[in-house]
Amino acid sequence: MNWTLLTPEMILLLTAALYLVLACFKPDAQRDYHLGVAMAAATVAVSLISVPMSGSLFNHVYRVDLYSQVFKTMLSLGFFLVVFLCEDFKGVAPEHHAESYFLLAVCTLAMMLMASSVHLVVLVMALELSSYSLYLLVFLRRDHRWGMGSGLRYFLVGVSASAIMLFGLSLIYATTGALHIDQLAERLPDMMQHPMVVCGLLLTLAGFFFKLAVFPFHIWAPDAYQGAPNTAAAFIAAVSKVAAIAILLRVVSLAQGNGDLLARGLVVMAVISMTVGNLAAIAQRDFKRLMAFSSIAHAGYLLLAMLCMTPDGYAAAMFYGAALLVMKFTCFLVMICVADDGRNLQINELAGLHQRAPLLAAALMMALFGLAGIPPTIGFSGKLFIFVAAMQKGYLALVLIAMANVVISLYYYLLVLKAAYLDKPVQQLPAIITPAGTRLMSVVLISLIVGLGFYPTALFELVQAAVLLLP
Amino acid sequence: MITQLAQFPWLTSLLLCCALGLLTILFIPGRHAKAIKVVSAVFSGLTLVISIYLYAAYDQQAAGYQFVERVSWIPSLGISYFNAVDGYSLPMLLLTGIVFFTAVLTMWELELRVKEFMALVFLLVTGVFGLFMSLDLFFIFVWFDVSLFPMYLLIAIWGSTRKEYGAMKLTLYLLAGSALILPAIVYLVVQSGAMTFDLLVLMNGEYFSPKVQRLAFLLLYIGFGILAGVFPFHTWSPVGHVAAPTAVSMIHAGVLMKIGAFGILRVGMFLCPEGWHYWAPLMAVLATCGIVYGVLVGLSQTDLKYVIGYSSVSHMGIVGLGLSTMTIDGINGAVFQMFAHGIMTALFFSSVGYIYDRTHTKAIAELGGLSRIMPRAASFFILAALTGIGVPCLASFWGEVVVFMSCVRVYPVAGALAIGALAVGALFMLRVVQKTCYGPPVEKFSHLTDVSTRMAIPRVILASVIVLFGLFPGLLFDMIDTATRTFLAG
Repeated sequence: MNWTLLTPEMILLLTAALYLVLACFKPDAQRDYHLGVAMAAATVAVSLISVPMSGSLFNHVYRVDLYSQVFKTMLSLGFFLVVFLCEDFKGVAPEHHAESYFLLAVCTLAMMLMASSVHLVVLVMALELSSYSLYLLVFLRRDHRWGMGSGLRYFLVGVSASAIMLFGLSLIYATTGALHIDQLAERLPDMMQHPMVVCGLLLTLAGFFFKLAVFPFHIWAPDAYQGAPNTAAAFIAAVSKVAAIAILLRVVSLAQGNGDLLARGLVVMAVISMTVGNLAAIAQRDFKRLMAFSSIAHAGYLLLAMLCMTPDGYAAAMFYGAALLVMKFTCFLVMICVADDGRNLQINELAGLHQRAPLLAAALMMALFGLAGIPPTIGFSGKLFIFVAAMQKGYLALVLIAMANVVISLYYYLLVLKAAYLDKPVQQLPAIITPAGTRLMSVVLISLIVGLGFYPTALFELVQAAVLLLP
Repeated sequence: MITQLAQFPWLTSLLLCCALGLLTILFIPGRHAKAIKVVSAVFSGLTLVISIYLYAAYDQQAAGYQFVERVSWIPSLGISYFNAVDGYSLPMLLLTGIVFFTAVLTMWELELRVKEFMALVFLLVTGVFGLFMSLDLFFIFVWFDVSLFPMYLLIAIWGSTRKEYGAMKLTLYLLAGSALILPAIVYLVVQSGAMTFDLLVLMNGEYFSPKVQRLAFLLLYIGFGILAGVFPFHTWSPVGHVAAPTAVSMIHAGVLMKIGAFGILRVGMFLCPEGWHYWAPLMAVLATCGIVYGVLVGLSQTDLKYVIGYSSVSHMGIVGLGLSTMTIDGINGAVFQMFAHGIMTALFFSSVGYIYDRTHTKAIAELGGLSRIMPRAASFFILAALTGIGVPCLASFWGEVVVFMSCVRVYPVAGALAIGALAVGALFMLRVVQKTCYGPPVEKFSHLTDVSTRMAIPRVILASVIVLFGLFPGLLFDMIDTATRTFLAG
């Protein structure tokens, strides 16, 4: 067995183990932070190196290929970015810092396992591991009033979704007699008209939809975002979606062009998700709740890409996942810098941001325009790829609905922008002092958002090559 | 990989001028307002020089697309960075150069957040230049939105009169337009089966069935039409113009609205000729409604900027009417009118902006005798008003006459209505001029200073352009004609 294939996972395991040990000692915020950044950077480096690797492990239930490695790179990047945000880490009590890093590392590890597993049982195990670490991360909020209630709701919706998913899996196993992706890929296409198979697939997907916060499994999202410590919310919003895309693509692609019935179900969910998410977002005053509802809407756009069931659609979904990672993370970066004591940020608290921190305001502007899909941003190129893929399948009406949604979403993004650029703060607030690292990070993120908007070719070709490995 | 470059990439350097200007402004600390203004003037002046050079260097005998630059961009989708100019885009580039330069000079007295203002204006104009020179649908859409999204902040921060409402309304309307354009573009690209965003390939390939063309043209017409102020999607325009600061009104009414009409021409009519023929009567009806409506509503306005805002609606109606005639003269006149109206509106807003800056009122009733208090400002205003009416020897005249001549032949009723409406509008405009500029001077304004020599420069430039093309319309018509003949012949 070739253990080098597992290096990114190993590093994360080592990180988790280190923090487990550190949790037994006296808390030291600085030590934990610097160790975290170092380990996360190492993970990113190793993941990048391991992109060209391929192979199969553990009786062929664990596959390392370009598809999984690209996702792992995105995940490790997300892990690094979130750990980078933890410098102040005011949302969590100091004695729990080590545990938080431990949970972040375990969760990222679990998501990497999700990206690589090609056996449904392994997939479920990885999914549960990542979910449980996320539940705990939400509970760790210093302010118990927030943490307990929303953590509990997150947990309850999550386990219900898992139960539904397991039931769906049993239906699939009952009809096809297989749980390995390769065997399913052989048997499923002929049975796609079988009602039990479609039911099984839809129920299985329910578990993944919970991760992605697709209607009707979205109800946990606003409360969990609001109740979680800001850094954990960033992790849920930006990183966990990437993993959800990885497994959704694995399962949806099993239909291999025979998925009309399945696609019909997904169309309904996509349309409702984006409409509900965008309409509900208009009414939000809390920035994290707004991000939660916008995530729900973006899950709808992602579904639109997946239900095309073509390689172009899968590539578009993967690209859009990367785009969301960058854009949402930028929003959370700004939010965490402004809410310096770890409180929940109201949108009107952004008032005067353009004077207090011009660079952060610019970053927020680009991220919001990106989320709204306005060129030249990475969010636009992502949407363009999705629309081209959908149009190739003849979904003109769906594209028009999605564009109508884009206009709705623009309204609330503009309100946030208005707060940051126009509104006068109620009382004069001091300038926000941003460390050099944060400033550098903002510049890098802005250039990523704009650069990949103008020239998405390299990244798009990479994901195109990656999705060819799907059945 | 297709790469094709002219000897010297003039078009790209035009864009680079804007981009470099933007970067330079971003790196100057905000407190050096003076330096920022100088840098803006220098770079916008450079763009004007380049656009004049392009206009002069274009070979009208050879016609067609010149100064071609093409670099493969996203090969898997058939997207390339593809710039070239023809007889339609050159007048628009020239217009943009003139309005951009004069708008920057007009804002010389700005003091509030100068750095951000100039940066956003540069961003906006980059999009405008890009759109006029691009021949790739992907880039056309990208530039289209780049030129729109700075508008929100420009109006909401530096505007007046219900600025936040105006800004939000304008942004949502225009982006709703782009929400129709993007699906239409993707629809056409996918329907062609050729997987290319190259406008010329799609145009010459005869890929689209009449049904596809009708649907796509309607989407494109409404999408771009919203920006062109086509009735009944024009309601953002007066509100937005009134709310916007002077330079932004100038750029917006002078150049941005032309993007809409240019988009209908370049994307809609070029790609879907049969759709155009099918919907042309509708275009004519809506354009006539716009002309009549703009004049009638303009009659009842008491605010100077609203008067100009509604006159823009009716003047853009003339452009729409010209495009709907499907004749060489009609299209030539429409493009001429786009240019002439751009310059005229810029002068209009620039002079009203000056009057408002001094008197702090835009109400017609409160003004009077301006020609004695500030004779220069008043004369610019009067010149703009006369151009708007369509007085011979001023630029607008030629556009309107040519459009109406071809319109009366194709749609006699619409033509008659439009001419009648404009005659009424002319009477009214003269009354506005009479009320504000003549009569007894208002006491409380008598101490105000007139336009200084430095502040007169941009207005003199605009005024001389109006007279130049009014006396020598052939300078423009010959250029436009090269493109129209190729377009309608092939």
